[in-house]
Amino acid sequence: MRNQVLHFYARALAGFAAILLAPGLAFADTQINVSDNGGQAVQDAVVYLELPAGPQTAKSANAEIQQKDKKFIPFVTVVQTGTSISFPNNDTVRHHAYSFSPAKPFELKLYSGKPAAPVIFDKAGTVIVGCNIHDQMVAYIHIVDTPYFAKTDGSGVAKLPTVPTGKYILKTWHPKLPPNTTIQQQSLQIDGNPATVNVKLNYKAG
Amino acid sequence: MRLHSLESRVVTLFIGLLLTVQLASYFAIGNAIDQNARNSVEDSLKINEKILLRLLDQNAQKLIQGAIVLAKEYAFREAIGTHDTETIVSTLSNHGKRIGSDLTMLVGLDRKISAFAKVNNASNMVSDVNLSDSLQQSVSTLIQTAEKSGSAASTAIVDGRPYQMVVVPIEAPVTISWVVMAIPIGKDLVTDMHELSRMQISLLTSEKSGHWTANVSSLEDEKAAKLAQLLPGTDKQINYLPSLQIDDDQYSARILKLAQNAQFNTIAVLQLSISQAVAPYKELQRNLLILTVLGAVVASIISAITARRITGPVRQLAETARSLGAGDYTATIDVKQKDEIGDLARTFMTMRDGIAQREKEISRLAYWDTLTSLPNRALFTDMLEEAITSARAHEKSCFVLMMDLDRFKHVNDVMGHRFGDILLNEVAIRLSAELGAGGTKPARLGGDEFAILLPDSSKEDALDLANRILRSLEKPISIEDQTVDLGAGIGVAGFPAHATDAQTLLSRVEVAMYAAKLGNSGAILYSPDIDKSSQQSLSLLSELRAALERQDFRLYVQPKVGLDNGQVIAVEALVRWAHPERGFIFPDQFIPFAEQTGFIRQLTYWVVNEAARVCHLWKEQGIHLKISVNISTRDLLDQDLPAKFEHILQKHEVGPASFCLEITESAIMDDPIRAFQTLDKLHAMRFDLSIDDFGTGYSSLAYLKRLPVHELKIDKSFVLKMEKDIDDTKIVKSTIDLGHNMGLRVVAEGVENIEVMNLLKELGCDQAQGYYISKPMASTDLPAWLATWRQSVHV
Repeated sequence: MRNQVLHFYARALAGFAAILLAPGLAFADTQINVSDNGGQAVQDAVVYLELPAGPQTAKSANAEIQQKDKKFIPFVTVVQTGTSISFPNNDTVRHHAYSFSPAKPFELKLYSGKPAAPVIFDKAGTVIVGCNIHDQMVAYIHIVDTPYFAKTDGSGVAKLPTVPTGKYILKTWHPKLPPNTTIQQQSLQIDGNPATVNVKLNYKAG
Repeated sequence: MRLHSLESRVVTLFIGLLLTVQLASYFAIGNAIDQNARNSVEDSLKINEKILLRLLDQNAQKLIQGAIVLAKEYAFREAIGTHDTETIVSTLSNHGKRIGSDLTMLVGLDRKISAFAKVNNASNMVSDVNLSDSLQQSVSTLIQTAEKSGSAASTAIVDGRPYQMVVVPIEAPVTISWVVMAIPIGKDLVTDMHELSRMQISLLTSEKSGHWTANVSSLEDEKAAKLAQLLPGTDKQINYLPSLQIDDDQYSARILKLAQNAQFNTIAVLQLSISQAVAPYKELQRNLLILTVLGAVVASIISAITARRITGPVRQLAETARSLGAGDYTATIDVKQKDEIGDLARTFMTMRDGIAQREKEISRLAYWDTLTSLPNRALFTDMLEEAITSARAHEKSCFVLMMDLDRFKHVNDVMGHRFGDILLNEVAIRLSAELGAGGTKPARLGGDEFAILLPDSSKEDALDLANRILRSLEKPISIEDQTVDLGAGIGVAGFPAHATDAQTLLSRVEVAMYAAKLGNSGAILYSPDIDKSSQQSLSLLSELRAALERQDFRLYVQPKVGLDNGQVIAVEALVRWAHPERGFIFPDQFIPFAEQTGFIRQLTYWVVNEAARVCHLWKEQGIHLKISVNISTRDLLDQDLPAKFEHILQKHEVGPASFCLEITESAIMDDPIRAFQTLDKLHAMRFDLSIDDFGTGYSSLAYLKRLPVHELKIDKSFVLKMEKDIDDTKIVKSTIDLGHNMGLRVVAEGVENIEVMNLLKELGCDQAQGYYISKPMASTDLPAWLATWRQSVHV
């Protein structure tokens, strides 16, 4: 409860600052609340706005999925196409990260420390990362063609970055959704005012 | 061995008990063995079913492990990730071979079989076989389970054959596909199971609930086919068959459902032979039966020996008892046992001795007279019989003497029984002394009767002995300062002269003895004449009785006249017998006999009664005469006599004063005490009493003093010729004086002439009776005679 109150204040302050920084421009903060069909807040849900103008690849972007305590951290990563992700191993044991996902099959043979080169994810889709010697290790990478994306926190809240006004398609994905299900989507009008959108995922969390 | 003997019963009981126990335990054990075997077979089947299930589970686990190895294969997962179908199938086939899976499949997340490899007997792989719907169905069902629990194993029927099927997920690292592996349930399982458990196992399949068909079996094909026929239908939920007969073997079976789909049913049947399970116990049971039979035989022998040990002495006892019964007391029993039987035998011997002792005593009592220690009548009779037998055999003769003491009864009564006993002993001693030592002994037949047997003797010997005895008895016997004179009558009779058997001889000698006593003639040899007279006596008695009935007796009277005035004062009543054939019989001829036989009582009664009647009759005619009646010894001993007289007096309405009862001295002397009692009573009744025949007996003046009499009748022997005999006159005179001095009336009888009459008158006699006055006359004649007499007196 206390955290939520603090969070509220922080957001209010940020919004206020934005209005101050860009007066006259139709920019607004958009917040997405994701819940499951039981109304429960869903963490690690990926939300992103697809651009009406078509896919847009990042010029250069970096991300990192570290391996610590025989876990991939974070569990879910969302990046724009063209992003390089490095897989630093912070464990004392070696890892063998791989993926057979069609979006980006790769294999980082047994290594420790930082691997020679990061992996560039240049195709939109979902990549499931595993470790060949630690079956329980898994990480999801969702690659999107837009810079407007976010991931829900423990309260099921995702805050999109400042998005120009316009008409968008809001898509929501979660790793626990059954495979091969169509990604949930809805249209969203950004009109410069701060907006809060509630998305209900068609699955049962927990 | 007799059926009801103790021995056979003991043996039968022992064997019966033993056999019952043995047979009961035999059957109980047999039953228990069978039951136990069945239970253990059932338990064994249950355990083996678990083993089978475990075996199946192990197979499944092995298969799962193999599938997991495949699922983890990086290259395989890469091939799946890259949809490299050729590599996928190749890998499936390779791994299938490696772990011995017949069917190896890759199944997509949509549960559809995407790749398939079949290995037959580890030979060529065949891919792209026609996937049956049933396989797809089984796989789908299995994956459905695995989606929840990660991996799964089950049984399924593929192409009508049972399979064990497992599924594991392929993770990269999330589940991207499934690996399914299947091995047929068949020969390997059956072989494994059979080797593991040594029981029969069969796998059977039925199609569409039809009959069972044996797929694989450890049984021979023929038996497996029979088993298939015996099993219950598929619709029956039976998992245990306690009894299943295949050929000669009996089995118990458990039925385990292995797999089932819409079309097929597969079961495993586990069988164990009960016959085999029971076999070792059967051997045990057979041994037990042999033991039972042996036990019964041994027990029979032992019980027979034991029974014989008991019954042997008992039988010996019984035999000894038999000889004891026959009078043989010499038999001994040789029993050394110290048990109850031994006790019995010893007690028996003691009893035998006791019986022998007592028999001796009894025979002594039976055959010997306790008073004189002489043989008694029984022994004497035996001895006599022996003597007769011996005499007959040797054609010799033997004689018997029988002796009866005179007046013994009298002595006994007067001096007492103790005295009598001593006297008898004394007589016995004298007899023995007379016979001499070593000679034949006298016997005491009873009372004062003695007998002597003279075997092998002549008539002369016997008579000589009789006379010697009589002489020896003539010497007076002194007992306690009293001297007793004894006399005896001896009868003599002999074999074969007088009788041919003991009883007859005894009766003959008795007859002779009585004759001797009657005749007071010492010793008399038996002769048939004596017997004749005794027979006459018998007929006389019966005639007397008849006479009384026929009223042949007549009352006669003889008058008594007062000597002072010649008046008739009294009459003596006399009896005459008017015999229808022999005419009048005088009293001398029958009165002594009547006294001897006791008939006198009836006769006296008749006389008194008749006298009373006549007396009453006379009174009516104005004749008042006292009637004298003679009373005998027998009458006096009759305690009822006074009462009888009383009754007669009342009947005829006459007073006792009208009677005078005449008693002889000897009548009193026979039993003075009782005689005095009767006389006192009669006196008290106011009868006149008279002593008859005074002067002939042992005239004891002491008795005379004591007697309550009124009259003395001088015996006619003194009166008859007193006018010629001065001594008689003196006796008569003395008697008259004696009577008068004692205040008694004196009557003289036997007066036959005037001289005597006058003499008596002169001597002061009170009354006279006799022929001079009148002979006895019929009572009816008296009144007429009386009238005549009175006239003559007055004249």
